[in-house]
Amino acid sequence: MQKQEDDGDSGLRHLMKAAQEGDRASYNRLLRQLVPMVRNAVRVQRSFLGQADIEDIVQDVLLSVHAVRATYSPERPFAPWLAAIVRNRVADSGRRYVRSKSAEQAAVGFYETFSPDETNTTNEDGSVDADALRHAIASLPAGQRRAVELVKLREMSLKEAAHESGMSVASLKVSVHRAIKALRTRLKKRE
Amino acid sequence: MMETTDDLIRNLVASDKGIGRLPSPWRRVSLWLAVALPYVALIVIGMGVRANLDELSSTRFLIEQTATLLTALCAAFAAFCAVIPGVSRRLLLLPLLPLTVWLGSLGQGCLQDWLRYGAAGLTIEPDWHCAPRIVIVGAIPAIAMFVMLRKGAPLAPRLTMALGALAAAALGNFALRLFHPPDASLMVLVWHFGGVALLSALAGAVGRYLHHWPRAPRRA
Repeated sequence: MQKQEDDGDSGLRHLMKAAQEGDRASYNRLLRQLVPMVRNAVRVQRSFLGQADIEDIVQDVLLSVHAVRATYSPERPFAPWLAAIVRNRVADSGRRYVRSKSAEQAAVGFYETFSPDETNTTNEDGSVDADALRHAIASLPAGQRRAVELVKLREMSLKEAAHESGMSVASLKVSVHRAIKALRTRLKKRE
Repeated sequence: MMETTDDLIRNLVASDKGIGRLPSPWRRVSLWLAVALPYVALIVIGMGVRANLDELSSTRFLIEQTATLLTALCAAFAAFCAVIPGVSRRLLLLPLLPLTVWLGSLGQGCLQDWLRYGAAGLTIEPDWHCAPRIVIVGAIPAIAMFVMLRKGAPLAPRLTMALGALAAAALGNFALRLFHPPDASLMVLVWHFGGVALLSALAGAVGRYLHHWPRAPRRA
């Protein structure tokens, strides 16, 4: 086991030595071998992170390895050199996360409200009287009901709704207008 | 647009033209001294070595100066170690030893002054010229140190920059004592040692801005 690790380290050491001397093929092999190692190390240290965040840190580590590859001496083992960079970049990403969070403010939901009674369709417990509305829509004439379903419930544009229903845009507009008027009257009567 | 890890590797490999390895920390200390010492020597010669040679050869002065010079050397060594990934962090404590001797020697000087002259031996007078002089004498050593440290890894940028500044300021203080008129130990402690500590602390405070890692573009 120890021998395998030594062989692996020795391989990386030789690749880095060759990369420092300008051998691009060795450098390419080295970086590609480092990716799964770094990814695993980051995953172990930050198991709660998502794949995208882990990949960000892996890329930071690769950039750092590239930036400071002159500091590596082939006389020393490769693993501690890499581990120090990974540890540092993982800690750095944690600090960056805390900084970015401290600069953010929790958004408070300021809901749009209007005081007139007719705009307040919710019950006191916060629920909409959905049954009453469903019954009122069901009692509309077929054309008006179809217009409300397409334009208001399925939120289609007039053009799309006209295409879907085979009605003209003008008659759709009239149908929706009449349907809303009828619904308002029926729901008011119910109160 | 965020690039994939594959793209990043391709770009890094394409931009690689080989790179010279950094020499060992002790060798880098020698290189730093090769730049810093001639400048410091020129300043000392230009300002004129102070006349009272008796004081220059006193044991306490020699201990203080040796400790100051060793602080500069050890701080430079520790700073160069701090930018190499995987090097033992314990080496960064090395300057504490000569620093303690330097501080202890100044403390003992203060005690002697107090025993000899009473309260009069412990008066502090304003000497605002000391810190700027340390800055002037330490300027080139500090610039050389900064350039050399930036070639390393910013593993602990605050500590690294503080150690680098300590090295340059201690060397500046070593030179300053050779042409600056003699002072009571408390004055040296407050203005000289205090100046060195202040410069190191300032460099440490801005260390993160002076030396940082490259960053991959973030995902939106």
